[in-house]
Amino acid sequence: MQKSIQKYFALFALPGLICFAIAFLIPMVMGVVLSFFKFTTVTDGTFIGFENYKRIFINNDFTSALWFTARFTIVSVITINLGAFTLAMLLTRGIRGTNAFRTIFFMPNLIGGIVLGWIWQVIINGVLLPRGVTIVSDPKYGFWGLIVLMNWQNIGYMMVIYIAGIQNIPHDLIEAAQIDGAGKVAMLRSVILPSIMPSITICSFLTLTNGFKLFDQNLALTAGDPGKQTEMLALNIFNTFYGRSGFEGVGQAKAVLFTLLVAFIALTQLRLTRSKEVQA
Amino acid sequence: MKKNLFIALLIVLLAMSSVVFASGAQETAAAKEVYFLNFKPEIAEVYETKIAPAFEKETGIKLKVVTAASGTYAQTLKSEIAKSNPPVIFQTNGPIGLADSKNYTADLKNTEFYKILSDKSMALGDGTKVLAIPYAVEGYGIIYNDAIMRKYFALPNKAVSIKSADEITNFATLKAVVEDMTKNKAALGIQGVFASTSLAAGNQWRWQTHLANVPLYFEVRDANIAMGSKVPEIKFTYSANMKNIWDLYLNNSATAAGLLGGKSVDDSMAEFALGQVAMVQNGNWGAGQILGVKGNKVSDADIKFMPIYTGVAGEEKYGLNVGTENYLCINSNVSAEQQKMADQFLTWLFASETGKQFVKNDLMFITPFNTFKDNELPTDPLAKDVIRWMNKPGVSSLPWAFSMIPSEEWKNQFGAALADYSVGRKTWNEVEKVAVDAWKTEFKLTN
Amino acid sequence: MSPKNNEKRNTLILTIILALLAMFFLSPILIVFMNSFKSKLFISNEPFSFPRSDTFSGGENYLSGSQKIKFFNAFGYSLFITVFSVIGISLVTSMLAWYLTRVKTKFTSFVYYLLVFSMIVPFQMVMFTMSKTANMLHLDNPIGILVLYIGFGAGLGTFMFSGFIKSIPLSLEEAAMIDGAGPVKTFFLIVFPILKPTAITVAILNTMWVWNDYLLPYLTIGTEYKTIPVAIQYLRGGYGAVDMGAMMAMLVLAMIPIIVFYLSAQKYIIRGVVAGAVKG
Repeated sequence: MQKSIQKYFALFALPGLICFAIAFLIPMVMGVVLSFFKFTTVTDGTFIGFENYKRIFINNDFTSALWFTARFTIVSVITINLGAFTLAMLLTRGIRGTNAFRTIFFMPNLIGGIVLGWIWQVIINGVLLPRGVTIVSDPKYGFWGLIVLMNWQNIGYMMVIYIAGIQNIPHDLIEAAQIDGAGKVAMLRSVILPSIMPSITICSFLTLTNGFKLFDQNLALTAGDPGKQTEMLALNIFNTFYGRSGFEGVGQAKAVLFTLLVAFIALTQLRLTRSKEVQA
Repeated sequence: MKKNLFIALLIVLLAMSSVVFASGAQETAAAKEVYFLNFKPEIAEVYETKIAPAFEKETGIKLKVVTAASGTYAQTLKSEIAKSNPPVIFQTNGPIGLADSKNYTADLKNTEFYKILSDKSMALGDGTKVLAIPYAVEGYGIIYNDAIMRKYFALPNKAVSIKSADEITNFATLKAVVEDMTKNKAALGIQGVFASTSLAAGNQWRWQTHLANVPLYFEVRDANIAMGSKVPEIKFTYSANMKNIWDLYLNNSATAAGLLGGKSVDDSMAEFALGQVAMVQNGNWGAGQILGVKGNKVSDADIKFMPIYTGVAGEEKYGLNVGTENYLCINSNVSAEQQKMADQFLTWLFASETGKQFVKNDLMFITPFNTFKDNELPTDPLAKDVIRWMNKPGVSSLPWAFSMIPSEEWKNQFGAALADYSVGRKTWNEVEKVAVDAWKTEFKLTN
Repeated sequence: MSPKNNEKRNTLILTIILALLAMFFLSPILIVFMNSFKSKLFISNEPFSFPRSDTFSGGENYLSGSQKIKFFNAFGYSLFITVFSVIGISLVTSMLAWYLTRVKTKFTSFVYYLLVFSMIVPFQMVMFTMSKTANMLHLDNPIGILVLYIGFGAGLGTFMFSGFIKSIPLSLEEAAMIDGAGPVKTFFLIVFPILKPTAITVAILNTMWVWNDYLLPYLTIGTEYKTIPVAIQYLRGGYGAVDMGAMMAMLVLAMIPIIVFYLSAQKYIIRGVVAGAVKG
């Protein structure tokens, strides 16, 4: 059968592969190659080896963006997952209105990043008004503003995944634990958490990668202000490309580092949590 | 079966229409069209609603005007210029901007447009080629509402002895007047003396470029550096003077310092137009923003300029900051026919009777072209006052030294430092340090 | 108190807490909605107050906002691009996935891993080079952008479809082939109908992504064709000031379609999120 399908390569595989090549593969390879060049358009480069990579660190905007992004991601991963899990536990007890609550908590996830950033900018500025400051007066407002925004957007999404995970715990496991006299805490630790490890894996993966790659919300909420102190990595790279001239090569080099970083973190996290998953 | 047929049909339709679309898009570019990437959002509408239709009517050439959002011109130009249908006419802000764009600027020596420039030395080039032609001379300073000033000078218990705004000729007097006016805010019916010192992103140019010009000019003057030279570093010797005026702006503004990060230039101009404040630092390009505000309370005769005083010795002899940052270039990578059409448009705008009327009445440019007679200069109050100051005996205009700032990045960093200072997160010494260090780094990065 | 009453009281407290949380979750949307009817000067000054007679501005913000950024054009572009990208992705990636799963060669495994890898790579890595290639190939228009979305969506789509196809017994397809059906008939008549649930999941996840996407349309078609997120963000850069009144109104208009979509397809959306997570 394989042979007969292979004859139809052009129909089944080619369209997808062509689109993939145009949109991703070719730009990706070009991007890596060009990170070793000085260029303004993709065809006029001069090879300069690792010069771009060195230039990344001439001023410290990349490292401070990295630091900001790391802090942001760690805090948001913890808060989102804690919040989502708690809500999931509350919404798996069959109380009245569970469906309505689930609908409401999930809704913010549908709203796009740009729109979200603006909504929260208005609200946070409103809250700060009595103190005589705006969200761009101090980077800590931008930081916490982003945290609140991410939580609002993502708690519902992760909650849905946790709910499914909790609902899938085999009833006999719970009953057995209850018969053994397990209290709520023990139940949580020995039965629930290990059983929903796959959900924890996927939610950690999603919140981690989303946090690191965040762009739209960052742009709309503060655009990196004040100065560049609330600029995250993705925005920093964007500004390197389009915010000043002569730095395209540096932008590509930063992007390569960024990709390696995200890949490393994602793979490490997956390995860590996958190993803890219980084979049901 | 039917569903699959439908899906297959959809794909075929899509494929077919994409071909039509793609070729169609190409077609419109080749037809008689000139793409102009406009820098000034304040007058974008004039180009789109008045100038483009008039030009098309007279010549049949379509003018496509795209306006870059405030603060994003360089970025928009960079991405548009690399496309297959790039801008034909675009703007550079001086020698620095030109250096960025030199790979695609055409030689304008033989164009009609170059011929109408009065002072050929104002054009920028590389020695042999003419690459950028200035199109608007502009002046900026402190715009004030003379009606409110007169009200102040009529107060019985005012703290100064002078009798009118004309007599303010140095910082000490300005400070005394402004601070006294702040004390008497209620009596004068204003929310503050100065309009909001807008510090929102993209709106800091009045401070990191225009205001910074004053100390910058005096420093290069003292060091005998010629205008347009490369300056590897500055010592910011006149930093204390900048602090003088900056503090005055911050402490006597209509908005508390902490909230300035949310204010834009538009907000400030509206405050001035609605009579809520007495002064606003800006230039004659802002005329439309005052005259066009619904409910504008300031009469034309009361809109006047005074120089930005900072406490420099001998500042009485200096007038407004006058210069140009607006140069037009033609894209060298487009067809010869398109370049000719661009030349045709620019010459039409600045030399034909119809074009000149637009320039005078709607765009309100003070132009450096020999085609404008005296009665064809703009008559809006700001332009008139700039011209008055340019011609005033005993004072000389302060040239625009800020074209020597090494990069946009320096301006952004300096603006951010000023913003930090305004909320108390930086001391003035730290602002100074940013100015000096960033200049050194930026100069190295761009040379 | 008897255990049953305790239980009831706990449930009541729980419900109250959840209800408060739900109101908090909804409040940003309501605040924006309320502000869209106030005139712009009063939005920054008193963002949390209800419109009063002197601050109420009727539909003025909606009118001026829609005019300023040509909202209805933006809506049209967003709709067209989203609908056709999603159809394209579902179709193309399902075919690609079937090919890659049924034809087991080194080449197909290699391609499969490339596709999975593309899901981690941040957009900044390819944004510059991709916008250049898109321009060179004349794909920078609302129809060309579909190719780009199919290319970017290939990773997730192929991954999800592959996962499901692996669980379809080969015997079904082999039987069809023995009966004389070629690969085309086999796929469209036998396999694709079985893939329907996965196709719905893929469609939903991609709809949420494409509808809210900012950077891709901004970089490739942004000057001439603005989708909703691009149009909203343009309100900020345009003319140096943000007309808060127009902004509020446009945020409301931007949220309405997605909320309507959500409320009508909620079941599928939540199911899709869970399915997506489980596969991951």
